[in-house]
Amino acid sequence: MSQLDLLLLVLRVAFGAFVPLCFIAVLVWMERRGAAFFQDRSGPNRAHIFGFRAGGLVQNLADAIKLITKEDIVPDHVKHKFYFVLAPVIVFSIAILSFAAVPFADALILGGKKYLMQTIPTDLGILWFLALAGFAVYGIILAGWSSHSKYGILGGLRAAAQVISYEIPMGFAIISALVVYGTVNLTEIAHYQGQLLFGFIPMWGVVVQPLGAIIFIVAAFAEANRTPFDLAEGESELVAGFHVEYSSMKFGMFFMGEYVAMFTSSAIIVTLYFGGYQIPWFSTEVLVNNARAITVLLMLLMPACAWIFIRWMHKNNRSHYDCPDDHRVREALIYAKIIWGVVAALEIVLFIYLITVSGGAADRILVALLQIATFLVKTTLMCFVYVWVRWTLPRFRYDQLQKLGWQILLPLSLLNIFVTSAVVVALN
Amino acid sequence: MGAKAKIMERTGKSFYERLYLIEIFKGMAVTLGHFMTNFLDNSKLYVRHYPEVQPEIPARWRGRHRLTKHEDGTMKCVACFMCQTNCPAKCIMIEAGERIDGRSEKMPVRFTIDLLECIYCGYCVEACPMDAIRMDTGIFAVTGADRQSFVMGLTALLATPGAYTEEEYKKGGV
Amino acid sequence: MFADGLFLVFAVLAVLGAVGLVLFRHPMNGAMSFVVTLIALAGLYALLSAKLIFALQLIVYAGAIMSLIVFIIMFLNIQPADLPQEETKLLSILGGGIVVLPIGWFLFKIVKSLPMHSVAIMGTDFGGVKEVGLVLFRDWLIPFEIVSILLLVSLVGAVILAGKRGTAK
Repeated sequence: MSQLDLLLLVLRVAFGAFVPLCFIAVLVWMERRGAAFFQDRSGPNRAHIFGFRAGGLVQNLADAIKLITKEDIVPDHVKHKFYFVLAPVIVFSIAILSFAAVPFADALILGGKKYLMQTIPTDLGILWFLALAGFAVYGIILAGWSSHSKYGILGGLRAAAQVISYEIPMGFAIISALVVYGTVNLTEIAHYQGQLLFGFIPMWGVVVQPLGAIIFIVAAFAEANRTPFDLAEGESELVAGFHVEYSSMKFGMFFMGEYVAMFTSSAIIVTLYFGGYQIPWFSTEVLVNNARAITVLLMLLMPACAWIFIRWMHKNNRSHYDCPDDHRVREALIYAKIIWGVVAALEIVLFIYLITVSGGAADRILVALLQIATFLVKTTLMCFVYVWVRWTLPRFRYDQLQKLGWQILLPLSLLNIFVTSAVVVALN
Repeated sequence: MGAKAKIMERTGKSFYERLYLIEIFKGMAVTLGHFMTNFLDNSKLYVRHYPEVQPEIPARWRGRHRLTKHEDGTMKCVACFMCQTNCPAKCIMIEAGERIDGRSEKMPVRFTIDLLECIYCGYCVEACPMDAIRMDTGIFAVTGADRQSFVMGLTALLATPGAYTEEEYKKGGV
Repeated sequence: MFADGLFLVFAVLAVLGAVGLVLFRHPMNGAMSFVVTLIALAGLYALLSAKLIFALQLIVYAGAIMSLIVFIIMFLNIQPADLPQEETKLLSILGGGIVVLPIGWFLFKIVKSLPMHSVAIMGTDFGGVKEVGLVLFRDWLIPFEIVSILLLVSLVGAVILAGKRGTAK
């Protein structure tokens, strides 16, 4: 192993481990502020450190401190304490591990060697995700069962039955997607989606597999136990479902596991149906060949975006009441300075790149960074869809949920497999 | 009963609606509209920025209690025990003594209201024959560090002024 | 060697899980130790670079089938009082051990008779999705279909049997 191999290995593992963890904070923030804006409220925006509220992100820190310092209770009636403690660990670690096979950039070619940009460079791809999705049920079942309370066991039963039954349409939707892509390898799947259909439509999974995409997204919502399928934790009937007996950081693990699962399934949806890391109309080779032009474009676009963002911030980051010497305006001014500083630094870096090392390996690294950014933006948007759906749709009734899964999604996904296979065979 | 029953038309059964997805997208468009308006300009939020902007308390609002006084500064309360008898939460505790300001025969020497037990029903105000107890202080947030600090004594109840003028209070009606 | 160490870990875990399945009194403990065995077996497949079998072992056995079994154990909500009294447990284990001993000895002899030289790796494509699929659907298509029909028959049979008891009540 050369030093480059080792460096890339460390970077990939770090990406796979830290990005889902960082996204917990982002997603919790997005969920709470998003929920507030959907309902014409303002959401948590008061917690601050020396006046810096970061748009409410600091609230997460307060929540984390609260969860960590709370008393960690294992109820006395819990007989199987090992499973009780194991369950949140399973939920959390499975959620993080299933991100490992998702490619976040096209294979990086450095020094004639090809590096797959996924945490575990395996070509199992979607199979890895399916294998781990099955394990997430254990956490829910064990939590519900070992809590030894009625709410817990009912919530666990519901969640487990739901996850098990929605795995089937999900698997079938994946099969029909695989028939189109002809591979299980997620990097190749994303690569396939870099092509153009009829020369102008990006050949994303959602274009060639619209029904499969809908089925997969619905099943992924159910799999992540999110609204409208979150009746495992129907507050009005089950209090909190399978994690009702959990407190402190053990509850925190479930909570974080839920958001990591949301991030991971968004990443999978993006990779399978929304082109993964592909920038629409620009395949990796096009990007690498036009690296200079793209750099110039970036150098022009960045200040423009920063200017728009800062205008938006100055408009919104102020107190909407009589407040002499508004601390929020001062805060926004400091943020604006920081943003301009970052933009200036990036401009300098890009300029140095342009005049010294452009052409060759640096281009590929630049393109990989761009693709990582694209991937993260797409995944964030997909997570926003999760939040958006949560605050729009009411909860299903339990029999409606099972009916939807078995009587509608399952036949539809089977039909989709037949139609897709027929079309693929006819076209070949 | 002669009431005219209006028969509501059941919706949601047509094929178009049973596809669900179109209706779901319509609903999502509505919520996204709300999100985007608030996201682009958060002054449009329907919220009161509470600690800085206080809510307007009408005169009929039942806030923390106070004991009223005559113009010459003597208390109106005659320790008749009406409020204590009438209190459903049994939070009022009166100890009567001889009146020293010469207005009548009795006055309270101890008058405590336990705000943790009080349910703010206002029966004490209605029961009072002397208009001696009122809930017009406009105080709606009572905080304290220990339980004892919620037990209001005679001096504290007398010391709190009303938040409204006599006309406003009368107009609000009790 | 790293792979040898992994092999040892997985082998020990698999055997321990199987022993736990037999010895644990509570069905949940048994099921969970069986899950450990299945995952360890998947690890052994991965060491043999049989990628597809590794994934399928995890998806089908460790994921789907065992989660159904655990789900049913949870559904039945078994109390300690429901479990059968097993006074002759030790004797049964001992007897079972004696019965199995000749087979174990036989297996041991077979393993000892294997040639000791290291085996060549079967190419980088061994065990991938495409290769297994090609073998399965080209060379072994008819046996595969017969097995699938067999499974379908048992599935239908199970549904009919379960349905009959429901209508009789």
